[in-house]
Amino acid sequence: MVGSLFTVPGDGRVGAAKAALNYLLVCCAVVAVVWASLAMAGISLNFDFVAQYRVRIWDGFCMTVGISAASLVLSMLIGVPVALGQGSRVLPVRYLCDLYVKIIRGTPLIVQVYFFYYIIGTAWGIDNRVVAGIVILSLFSGAYLAEIVRGGLMSIDRGQLEAARAVGFTRAQTLRYVVAPQMVARTLPALTGQVASIIKDSSLLSVIAVIELTQTMREITATNYNFFGGFLLLGALYLVLTLPLMFVSRQFEKRLDYEH
Amino acid sequence: MKHWKSGKRSAGVVRCAAAKEGVADLSAPRATGVFRLTVLIAALGLALVVMLSGCAGGGEGVTDSAANAEGGKTLRVAMELAYPPFETKDDAGNPEGLAVDFIRDFGAAYGYDVRIENTAWDGLIPSLQSGQADLVISSMTITDERKQSVDFSDPYAMAQLAILANAESGVQSIDDLNQPGKKVAVKTGSTGDVYATKNLPNAEIVRLADESACVTEVVQGKADGFLYDQLTIYRNHAANPDTTEAVFIPFQDPEAWGIAVKKGDTELLDQLNAFIAQSKTDGEFDRLTEKYLAEEKKAFDEYGFKWFFDFE
Repeated sequence: MVGSLFTVPGDGRVGAAKAALNYLLVCCAVVAVVWASLAMAGISLNFDFVAQYRVRIWDGFCMTVGISAASLVLSMLIGVPVALGQGSRVLPVRYLCDLYVKIIRGTPLIVQVYFFYYIIGTAWGIDNRVVAGIVILSLFSGAYLAEIVRGGLMSIDRGQLEAARAVGFTRAQTLRYVVAPQMVARTLPALTGQVASIIKDSSLLSVIAVIELTQTMREITATNYNFFGGFLLLGALYLVLTLPLMFVSRQFEKRLDYEH
Repeated sequence: MKHWKSGKRSAGVVRCAAAKEGVADLSAPRATGVFRLTVLIAALGLALVVMLSGCAGGGEGVTDSAANAEGGKTLRVAMELAYPPFETKDDAGNPEGLAVDFIRDFGAAYGYDVRIENTAWDGLIPSLQSGQADLVISSMTITDERKQSVDFSDPYAMAQLAILANAESGVQSIDDLNQPGKKVAVKTGSTGDVYATKNLPNAEIVRLADESACVTEVVQGKADGFLYDQLTIYRNHAANPDTTEAVFIPFQDPEAWGIAVKKGDTELLDQLNAFIAQSKTDGEFDRLTEKYLAEEKKAFDEYGFKWFFDFE
């Protein structure tokens, strides 16, 4: 039957060829809709500028990757202690961590960018735009990481900790052999997804003139007025970075899924 | 309008009721607590729906009823409402300003129903190219580069670039900015950006998305100067007299502002040119100056600057 080419069989297993065919079909449909929309709106795309500006685009791309990587490391250093701090017995620590997460998650990134760069940054002498950008992005992402880590911690059954104590594990041993393996398994997919978010969110640093990918493209389209070509390319370049991450995230999800 | 609102509200209530049943089935023993929670959620949902329907009235696209001539064609005007007093919003959020009045007068004269679309600067020319707007009037300077993408009317105003310098930067002329280690803030894609890119090779150019960020950079000393038109510089210096200096010595030819239309739209362009020519003689520009810029006109006269509407 033709229908079986497009449906998931009863046992839930989809062959590689069938998956590829269907994915290709969906991609073609998306491309067709985009192409038709461009035609209907009377917009012709032109990517001639890429050759002319390839050095700047590459520099911007590297800057985005660099900022994202640095922010990932720094936000881990913020997120994990904050997640632990939210369960602290010392109330000021607990509430400080809680307030940090609430404020960061409750305000738009653009407000934080302006606030940290022009007020905190100026007051404390952080004048380097790239450094300020990394700090802002890390503070932003740190709150989300903290929530992911906290969710992972809360998902570990209390009984396991008691059992570990009962068999004479020290706190360090409990952390190493009981908590950590499960934490990694449960939070890795979400953490990988967060990396993709960091990459996308770094585009907002363009408002303080960090010359990353988005700012590079804004500067280019401001001189050549090739708005559509420039921004479609921009989207494609972000996808080059984020699609593999999403793929990896899905693979982690599949591989670590068995224990639930 | 009223009918539509009540319809929306009842839809919200139905959805909340369905949610209530679902929740109640799952945890029957704690029904009273759940019920209270559900009532709270329903109330919040209802409040949200009421808020949203209240907001729906004040959208961005505002049709000008005053210029709503019988059977008039709609004229979609794109402008960035972030540049007082030419293009801005009144306290209620409606488009207001010298250019807004000017284009509405044009619409009234030629039987158009003027509809103003607030559009970010970067999106103005694309909105013409994609046919989402019929014209752009947004204090846009006529340049050769822009002419490759759109057609321009005759100039309707003339402006000069000026420098807003940090008070401690020691900048007194454009040459002082063209030095290694000097930072020049510009709005991305503005004529200040174009000028700095072409003529200030020694300075570091900091391109920012909006004027207020550029001014902040100068006020805080992160940038040494900000290149923009005289009026903006005058106003921002007046707002920050201690931290900034204004440098008004002209360093280039005056810039002509034009109304942009889609390439090849000669019919609209001819009407605009006729209206601009007429406005130069019939006192339209004097009337607009009196309404929006009386004080600045006085200051400009004292400095001996050319006014926006001195075309010679």
